[in-house]
Amino acid sequence: VEVLSFAVAQRRVVTEDDWAAAAEVVREGFEEGDAITVAPRWADPLLRQHLGDLIDPAMAGRSDLEGYRRLWTLSIRGHRPVDAPPVDAAVDVLVGRVRVLRWPLPAPTVLYDFVEHVADARVEWVEGGEARPCHWDARGRPQGGGLGAGPLTPGQLHRCDPRRPWLWVGATTQDTLDLEPRRCLWQHPPGPEPLRATFTDVPLGDRVVLYGGIYYEHERHEEHGPVSAEVFVDGASLGALTREDGDGWVRFEASTRLPGRTSDRGTVVVEVTAPDPNLRTFCWAGSTRTGAVE
Amino acid sequence: MRHRHLGPLDHLVGALLGVAYVIVLVVTAPDIGMSRDEGFYVRAADSYGGWIEHVGRRWTCDVAEGGLGRCAVTCAEGQSCPGGAACPADGQCRSPVAMECGAPGDCSSARRELVDHYWAYNHEHPSLIKGMFALFQLLQTRTEIFVPPSTAYRFFGMVTAGLLLWLIYVFGAQAYSRQVGAFAALAFALMPRVFYHAHLDCFDVPIALMALLVTYAYWRSLTDLRWVVLVGIAYGLALATKHNAWTFPLIYLVHFAFVVLSERRRRRRGEGRRIGLGPWWLLGMALLGPPIFVGLWPWLWYDTLARFREYGAFHLNHEHYNMAYFGVNYFRPPLPASFPWVMLAITVPTTTVALALAGIGTRLHALLPFHLEERWWPDGRAELDAARTDVLLFGCLLAPLVVISLPSTPIFGGTKHWFTAYPFLAIFAGVGFVGAARALRRRLGGRVPFARYAVRVGLAAVLLTPAALETIHSHPFGLSHYGSLAAGGAPGAADLGMNRQFWGFTTGSLTSWLNAHLPEGGSVYVCDTTPTAFRMLQEDGRLDRRIRAQPSLVGADYALVHHEHHFVEVDYQIWEAYGTTQPQLVLTYDGVPIISVYRNPRGRGLPDD
Repeated sequence: VEVLSFAVAQRRVVTEDDWAAAAEVVREGFEEGDAITVAPRWADPLLRQHLGDLIDPAMAGRSDLEGYRRLWTLSIRGHRPVDAPPVDAAVDVLVGRVRVLRWPLPAPTVLYDFVEHVADARVEWVEGGEARPCHWDARGRPQGGGLGAGPLTPGQLHRCDPRRPWLWVGATTQDTLDLEPRRCLWQHPPGPEPLRATFTDVPLGDRVVLYGGIYYEHERHEEHGPVSAEVFVDGASLGALTREDGDGWVRFEASTRLPGRTSDRGTVVVEVTAPDPNLRTFCWAGSTRTGAVE
Repeated sequence: MRHRHLGPLDHLVGALLGVAYVIVLVVTAPDIGMSRDEGFYVRAADSYGGWIEHVGRRWTCDVAEGGLGRCAVTCAEGQSCPGGAACPADGQCRSPVAMECGAPGDCSSARRELVDHYWAYNHEHPSLIKGMFALFQLLQTRTEIFVPPSTAYRFFGMVTAGLLLWLIYVFGAQAYSRQVGAFAALAFALMPRVFYHAHLDCFDVPIALMALLVTYAYWRSLTDLRWVVLVGIAYGLALATKHNAWTFPLIYLVHFAFVVLSERRRRRRGEGRRIGLGPWWLLGMALLGPPIFVGLWPWLWYDTLARFREYGAFHLNHEHYNMAYFGVNYFRPPLPASFPWVMLAITVPTTTVALALAGIGTRLHALLPFHLEERWWPDGRAELDAARTDVLLFGCLLAPLVVISLPSTPIFGGTKHWFTAYPFLAIFAGVGFVGAARALRRRLGGRVPFARYAVRVGLAAVLLTPAALETIHSHPFGLSHYGSLAAGGAPGAADLGMNRQFWGFTTGSLTSWLNAHLPEGGSVYVCDTTPTAFRMLQEDGRLDRRIRAQPSLVGADYALVHHEHHFVEVDYQIWEAYGTTQPQLVLTYDGVPIISVYRNPRGRGLPDD
């Protein structure tokens, strides 16, 4: 029986050729606005090896699928992606041992992605009640990296306090409590007083959606304090994404349809604070969207 | 009473098994890149080797009056003296540095500054095995007999694996039968994870040898007082191998309680004396073990108590490793109590596990305490021996697994941490095999010519085939291997969310690819591979010496990610640093990613055509 099971296990191994052929099917049908994923998740490196040129860090590190029109999946061993719509796939093709699936998604709702617009933001940190500006550095080199080092410091970022090299705002990819990639804006709180990112002339749509989390190694011991990211639209608070260790990648959503709103565009401010900033390596992703608040 | 007599032929069989295994290990070792821990022990062996060389020189050293250490070491023009100094005009090497001789006339190798200089490194583990690695490396520097050179460091570990097979055969044959011993030795050799670890310059297979050796000596000492000295010596060697040995007496105490209670009960019933009740073995261990332990470890020769406390504290407050188990990355205790049992079940060939369970079932009668055995199993035939051999072997099988299951035990993760159980598991598998062979022979009756031998040999071949297949297939990805039947192989284990590897040794499987893609040399961020392990790939001639390990992935030409659950952050860092999520290569084992290799678009690596 064990010899037989060995033979069966070997027969089920997905070959390089199978992956290449399945990727070719996706490549031929791929359109702007499509997302690509794999099931099971452990095969993700193989997906990116064959289709990584179509998968940018934003797609790989997405928080949800609301910015995409269709979802492609390469599936092996009978797995189904966790974020697949609960309906049959519109395309279902078996290529060797890889199943190519494609689902249509609801029309995209994302109007403005804050991570994409980080260069446009005005960033300042507050000390003793006084706002101090951070400076956009467009010509730096990425820094950091390595096991246990946390998210990479990008080459382009808002640098804030030279005494605290971790006090910057920029786009990076962070592993959060579930070890999944999250493309996000690093905005480490300086303390009880905020680090503030201001985005002007933002299409407000109907709602703002924020996700936020802490770097895996700084959250998993569940021994540090809370972090809060409060959202303001044209000076009015929409509430705050407040998270404790153990919460993981947390979603916050609020309506931008404030009483008295006169324009479709406005200024969005995100202020990040923490009573104790020690190891509060906070990173957030967010966007304004159309559609009712869930 | 057991202790079947073994003759020279038996030892020849055991030795042949051991030698054959060592040959296989030596031949296959170059396929396995050096692992993280091996890198540390290579450095330790080099350091300890320096001290051993000093001792060697002292044997031939004629220390001059006034003592700058004129040694009777001669050299020729163009050669260098020990320590690297150029050969003087008179052809007489002098001690090259003050370290060699302290105060005038004091060239003792046991001087504290000398001992500390050479032995302080890696003092969280005792000296015996690393000292043996050093001896073979010194042999290599003089003879270059090992190819590739890294085999010199690893060779003694392989020798302990061979000795282990020999001893499994001997123990199994003496306690049960030759068929049990032979099958057990082969079943142990054909455990994929054991096969992997048996290649390494580490302590996990050596301590399995020592566990079996001390247990064997203890077992013999129960009925033969001459073995009291040997059990003490064996225990000293075990203490000098790895800290697991400190727990051995506890196992023997529990077993000895069984022995004493059984014997007293027999005597109360008027049956004759079968075994002594004095714990002489404990005396042997207590009197000989610690002195041998300290004597073999020069670092403990000074500030002995303080340093011993430091050694103990390291292991009592050991850091917790990351270990993936059913999709959860555990990094602090408690690891689920099921961990060692499940990992055993899905990494040891299923046939071997099933035979071991059958063997334990066969001997269940003999595992019960004496009064329970009579009460619960009045009609059976237990074949209890005075030394309660079954209880001893079963206890030695259980104890390492139970220790790892304790909620307070640090998270180690690797199956190697309970390898000390596997020789006993293998012996019970041998018992199961013999039971199966007997049953089959009874069923076949006289229908098969030479049934007694044909059935045994044929059945052994059939029952060992799956283990052989799995072991051969696991190489050189032994730590990524999971049983096909129990886990669905490596892909099945990946589905279950099990750990895929550790120690970064799989970089060794990429050397050809890196040589081809960095033809002019370059830099590689090597993730979990240590610089020493990387350097050994070059010493072995597998990796171009112009390719260097780079600590920063940002400036490297290539970056590697060893796929363990908690290493994913390196993938994400690379996406940002290189502006792409696309690895140029994904090294796989049975279709499961082992290493991703990313090319820095600003680096010197070659794209694929």
